[in-house]
Amino acid sequence: MREQRRKDAVWRFLTYAFVITMVVVMMVPLYWMLVAATLPQEQFLQFPPRLIPGTAFLDNFAALQERLDFVRTIRNSVLIAVVYTLLSLVLCSMAGFAFAKYEFKFKEPIFYAILATLVLPIQLLVIPLFLLMAQLDWTNTFRAIILPWAANPIGIFLMRQNMKSIPDALLESARMDGATEFQIFYRIALPTMRSSLAALAIILFLFQWDLFLYPLVILETADMYTIPIGLAQLTGFQRIYYDQIMVAATLAIVPMVVLFLVLQKQFVSGILAGSLKE
Amino acid sequence: MSGINISELDKVYDSGTENVVAVEDLSVEIHHGEFLVLVGPSGCGKSTTLRCLAGLEDVTDGSIRFGDDDVTDRRASERDVAMVFQNYALYPHMTVRGNIGFGLKLSTKLTGDEIERKVESVAEMLGISELLDEKPKALSGGQQQRVALGRAIVREPSVFLMDEPLSNLDAKLRSDMRTELQELQADLDVTTVYVTHDQTEAMAMGDRIAVMDGGVLQQVGAPEDVYRSPVNQFVADFIGSPSINLFAADVDGATLRGPGGFTYELADPEPVAGHDRVSVGVRPEDITVVDAGQNTADVTVVEPMGNENFLYMEMAGHELTARVAPAVRPTEGTHVPFDFDEAALYLFDGETGDALKTKTDTVDSAVVGTTED
Repeated sequence: MREQRRKDAVWRFLTYAFVITMVVVMMVPLYWMLVAATLPQEQFLQFPPRLIPGTAFLDNFAALQERLDFVRTIRNSVLIAVVYTLLSLVLCSMAGFAFAKYEFKFKEPIFYAILATLVLPIQLLVIPLFLLMAQLDWTNTFRAIILPWAANPIGIFLMRQNMKSIPDALLESARMDGATEFQIFYRIALPTMRSSLAALAIILFLFQWDLFLYPLVILETADMYTIPIGLAQLTGFQRIYYDQIMVAATLAIVPMVVLFLVLQKQFVSGILAGSLKE
Repeated sequence: MSGINISELDKVYDSGTENVVAVEDLSVEIHHGEFLVLVGPSGCGKSTTLRCLAGLEDVTDGSIRFGDDDVTDRRASERDVAMVFQNYALYPHMTVRGNIGFGLKLSTKLTGDEIERKVESVAEMLGISELLDEKPKALSGGQQQRVALGRAIVREPSVFLMDEPLSNLDAKLRSDMRTELQELQADLDVTTVYVTHDQTEAMAMGDRIAVMDGGVLQQVGAPEDVYRSPVNQFVADFIGSPSINLFAADVDGATLRGPGGFTYELADPEPVAGHDRVSVGVRPEDITVVDAGQNTADVTVVEPMGNENFLYMEMAGHELTARVAPAVRPTEGTHVPFDFDEAALYLFDGETGDALKTKTDTVDSAVVGTTED
């Protein structure tokens, strides 16, 4: 008995030790980024490195703002990511609903064709997409960044899988109640999918937020830059502005954190609970 | 308000390689205000028939009329029907109020206030007024069932369709709801088609019952008639609990010869004339244990029910069940002679299973009471 208890204690100690180590490994770079954003360049490079936050954050930010107009860069990124996320949520959930709940010709082949596009890396698509956008005269526009990715295969797949869990009887019941197919979609199916939509929103937002190569090719003028491109501009040939990069990087994660905190409330499990009697 | 006329209904599922016939050549007339129960084993086509009536399935062939309207090709929402699903299918994200009012909101031009008033009066009728602001998951099974009923009632449809609505309730609640449903249906006077696999429920609830098997309608009639005069062996076997005793017998003039030396002299051999082999059927309540007789069976189990005893017996490998008075309790393992009245005897064609003879005994008037028609 006592032997067993000691074993359990050892196990618990090891588990905690492992988890704490992993947390430290992940938090250190973030902490270092926050500290570095508050230090002047010279202190950033000193050895041993300074681990206590300094007071130069606003100075660093002012320098960054002067070089790049970073506020505008953030605004661009937020605008693109928000519009993209909303548009893609609508398209993915509608496509997912159709694939999950309707029968139509070539349903399976079409679905697998959409999934197959996942194997194409973005790098492969950049040139053809650029040529297409050039033909449309859409280069250096936000719509060229948003539209090509709007029908996101991961999103369609995710929504299809989750929509399959909606009981048919629920949809039939709405049909008997006189709902049109579109009403069934947005009044019955969508509200039961809240947690999936929240998860998908984060995936989509992050995808667009991190997109680098494609906007780099499409966006030509500094006033259109998104955050990843703005960050890249700070690595000059002569000098790397570490202090400003750290300020920019710190600011870049703020919208993601806010989005996550807002959507976290939606991750309520068992939203379908109580619809059917098992 | 209308009756239903189903005429030569066919429903065939095309599963790519082969066609599955779910319902074949079904014709039935359901009167206005009638409570018709569709009953049969699982896979017999009863639910498919109901879904065709609801407009949730396309009809392969035949027609469906509600009153004078041909609704065969109409969508579910245009048929003026309401359906209660087996697992209730409540909208999980809406309150009870929202669930009941949803249909009115979508398919009528009533104002919010009018809908509210209707929802509240239906909730009161069903005794769920205090639950109106709860979500379905906070409700018990019986309460969810009432909400599902309320959702159907509030729309004042001309036809109610119910797909095994009581099968998820526990036994006590089920028999309460059974009575309540019948009263409700009688009050509302709405034509109702009710699907169940439970023959007791069918017998108890239906004005008439329609027995289906293998996609084919076997018999429609008042529960008593179906019980006493089944058209074939399947119906006789399916209706009645415990089920009828059935065994094969050879016809030798006016004598039936069955397993284990079973013999029975028919006073009237006319029904079996021209048949070599028949199926003999005797309801458990018609078997009596006698002091002496030529037919015997071994008692294997005695189940005392208090008001009656069930005897499970074996006759040369054939199981027999008898329902006898509580005073009759032979010891298990004994050999008992049994007998039954020829008037209570059922005989079926040995090959087709069609009924040759059914019960001709008189029913005790205290049992029957008054019939509606």
